[in-house]
Amino acid sequence: MKLKNRILAGALTVGVCFAAAATTYADDIRVGITMRMVSENGQAYGQMMMDEIKGINEAGGINGHMIKATLMNDECKSDKGVANANKLVFQEKVHLLIGSSCSSVTLPIVDVTAKAGVPQLVPHSTNSKITQKGSEWVFRVPVSGRYYGGVNAKYVGENIGTKIAYICAADAASVGDCANMEKQMKARFGVEPAYRADVQEKEVDFRAHMQKIKSMKVDGILVAALAETMARALVQSYEAGIGEDVRRIGSSSASNAPVPKIAGDAAKGVFFTAAYAAADQRPIAKLFNEMVKARYGIHAPDHDFSQAYDLVRIMEIALKNTALTGSLADDRTAIRDAIANVKGYEGLASGPISFCAAATPQCRDGNRTAVLIGYTKGGEDFETEVLARVTMEEDFGLE
Amino acid sequence: MIVLSKLADLFEDLAKRHRLLPWLIAYVLLLPLPFVLAGLFNEYLIDLVNRICLFILLAVGLNIVKGFCGQVTVGHIGLYAIGAVTSAVLSLEPGGFGGALGFGWPVWLSIPTAVLVTAFAGLIIGLPSVRLQGAYLALATLGLGESVRIFIAVTPALGSSTGLMMIPAPSVGSFTLDSFTSYYYIVMTAALLGIYFSFSILRSATGRAFQAIREDTTAAAVNGINVIQYKLLAFVFSAVYAGLAGALFAHMQPGYLHHNNFTVIEMVTLLLMVVLGGIGNVWGGVIGAIVVAIAYDQTKDLVFYFMDRPIVIQPLVFGLSMVLLVMFMPRGIGGWIEDFQRNRRFIRRSEERLSGSTRNT
Repeated sequence: MKLKNRILAGALTVGVCFAAAATTYADDIRVGITMRMVSENGQAYGQMMMDEIKGINEAGGINGHMIKATLMNDECKSDKGVANANKLVFQEKVHLLIGSSCSSVTLPIVDVTAKAGVPQLVPHSTNSKITQKGSEWVFRVPVSGRYYGGVNAKYVGENIGTKIAYICAADAASVGDCANMEKQMKARFGVEPAYRADVQEKEVDFRAHMQKIKSMKVDGILVAALAETMARALVQSYEAGIGEDVRRIGSSSASNAPVPKIAGDAAKGVFFTAAYAAADQRPIAKLFNEMVKARYGIHAPDHDFSQAYDLVRIMEIALKNTALTGSLADDRTAIRDAIANVKGYEGLASGPISFCAAATPQCRDGNRTAVLIGYTKGGEDFETEVLARVTMEEDFGLE
Repeated sequence: MIVLSKLADLFEDLAKRHRLLPWLIAYVLLLPLPFVLAGLFNEYLIDLVNRICLFILLAVGLNIVKGFCGQVTVGHIGLYAIGAVTSAVLSLEPGGFGGALGFGWPVWLSIPTAVLVTAFAGLIIGLPSVRLQGAYLALATLGLGESVRIFIAVTPALGSSTGLMMIPAPSVGSFTLDSFTSYYYIVMTAALLGIYFSFSILRSATGRAFQAIREDTTAAAVNGINVIQYKLLAFVFSAVYAGLAGALFAHMQPGYLHHNNFTVIEMVTLLLMVVLGGIGNVWGGVIGAIVVAIAYDQTKDLVFYFMDRPIVIQPLVFGLSMVLLVMFMPRGIGGWIEDFQRNRRFIRRSEERLSGSTRNT
C-alpha cells in the first residue's frame, strides 16, 4: 500500500511537472535567455538582463504587456544550448530568444531559431560565421570578430611591428580572433605568424611556448583565449623573461575583468579591441559604471556587461514598436521586423548599432565600431585607457 | 505494485508465445508517442524523448562492458565522439560552410561506416583491459577517451573549436527526416533494437562468458573461457552502441557537433545513468537514462535568488538528488526491479506449492 502511494505520488509529480511546463501566459511577452552561467561574471550578465527586464516591467511594461523572461544556463555547451533553445521555443513558446554568450553555442541555435521562425538577439558571441549562415531571424549586438581582426592588425602593423607570435586557445571565439588577425596581417602587410601555438581552451602551462617566443625576438604576442586562460599566459610570458618591449595583444576577452584581476601587473600594457571601454568618459558610460559597481560590486564593467545592457535597450525599442496581435507566429515576425528597423541606436557600445532587413552579415552585424583599449594598471583596481576608436566598412572581412 | 506485476506477467506470457512478440507490441505502442506528446503537451518533449533514446543506447552499451563484463571503462564518451564525428565528416559536403573535412557520402552509408570505425576504435580502447584492471584500466580508458576529444579540438578538419555544422539529416527519397517527430522513429527504433540485442547478448553463451569474467577472471580462464577475446569483444559490442548513438546524435538537427559535447562531465553523467539504473541490469540502464535525462531537464531552469543574485542551482539539486538516490538505493533502480522480480517468483512458487498441497489433501 505504501509503495502504491509512492508510485501514485511520483506519477502525480511527473504530471504536474509536465503540466507546469506546458503552461503559457497569454498576455505576456515571453523572452527566453540562454547563457553561460558557470562563472561569477556569467551569472552577473544574466542577472543584469533579468534586472533590466524587471525594471521595464516595474515601469509599466511594454505597451501594457509585461515581459516574462526565462533564464537558462547552457554551460557554454552546444548540446545544452540547443536543448535550452528548443525548450524555450517549443515549450515556453517565447516571442524572442536571447543567446548565447559562447559562439559555439550560438552557431547551432541560429539554425533552431531560423527553422522555428523566432527572432534571436546575440548578446556576446563574436564568431563571424554566426551572421554568415543567412538566417533572417538573427541579430548580433556585439562587434563581429571580422572587424576586431582588422582593427587589431592595422594598429599592430602600423605601431608595433609585423613579427607577431600567436597563442590561440581552442574556444570558438579565440580561434576566430586568431584566424581574423592572421588573415588581416597577411592581407595588409604580407606576413605570416612568426610563431603559432594552438592550445587547449583551459590550458595552464604556456612556459614552453613562451621560451620559444623569447628566443625568436618578436615584436608582439597575440594571446587569444578566454579570460582566465589569457591571464595565465600573460603572467607566464613575464616569468619566461619576455620583456615589456614585446607588446602583449589580447583577443576580445581581454575586456573581461578576470584578466587584469588575475594577471595583476602582467596586464599592464596589454591592449585589445572590444565594444566598450570602462574608461569611456561619456556621461552614459560613467553612470553605467556606477550602476554596475553599486548593483554587482564590479569595479569596471567589461564589454559583455555593456552588450547585455544595450541588448535589453534594443529589445525594448523593438518591442515598443511592435503591434502584438496575439498570434505567436505573427508576433514573432513583427518583432523580427521591428528589430531590423532599429537604426543608429547609441548606447554604451563603441559605436551606433543598426540593423536592416536583409539576412546578410552586413545587415545583421549591428555594431561596426571597435574600440582599442589598453590596460594602464592591473589588479583588483585595474585601469584602462582608450587608444583608438575605429569604424569598419560593413562588408569588411567578408570573402 | 499490482499493475507492475500484471505487466510483468503479460510480458512473460507474450514472450512464451514468441520471443519477439513483446518487443513488437512495445514498438507498436511507442509509435504514436510523438503525436500524444505534441497533442497533450508540446513538441519540445519529443526532442527530449529523442535525446533520451540516444542516452539509452549509450547507457545500455556501457552496461555491456561495465555491467556484464565488469571492466571499468571511462572512455565510452570518446567512442561516442568517434561515431559522431566520423558520420558527420563522411556526410558533409566537401568545401562546405564550416570549412571542415567532408566527403559527401549519403547519410545512410555514413552511419554504418561510423559504427564500424567506432567498433574498431573500441577494440583499441579495450586493449589496455588485457593487462590492466580496476582504477588503472579506468585511468587508461579515460586518457584514450579524452585524447579523442583533444584531437578533435585541435584539428580544424574535424571542426576544431568552431565545430562541425550543417551536418545533413537523413532522408528517404525526397522526405528529409529533420523534424523532431520524423527523427523520433529512427532513434526510438535504434534504442529498442539496442535493448533487445543487449538482452540477447546477456542470455547467450557470450553473455555468460562476460559474467564469468566479471565474477572471477581466473576462474573463468580455468574453465576454458578466452578472457582476452571476450574482454575485447565486450569493448567492441559496447563501441557499436556508442558509435550508433554518436552517429545519430550528429545527424539530429540542427546538425552541429563541438568537442565540448564529449567532455569528462558527459562521461560522468553517463556513468551516473548506469549506476543509478543498476550496473549489470539492462532495464536499469534504460531507466537510469530516462531518470537522469528528465531530472536534468526539469532542473535546468531552476534559479535560486540569494540577496537578489541569481544562483543556478541545477548542479546542486541534480548532484544532491543523485547522491541521495545512490546512498539509499546502492544497487540502483535495477536492483529494486530484481528484488521485485525475485519476490514475484517466490510468491508464485509459494502459491503453486500451496495449491498443489491442497489438491493432494
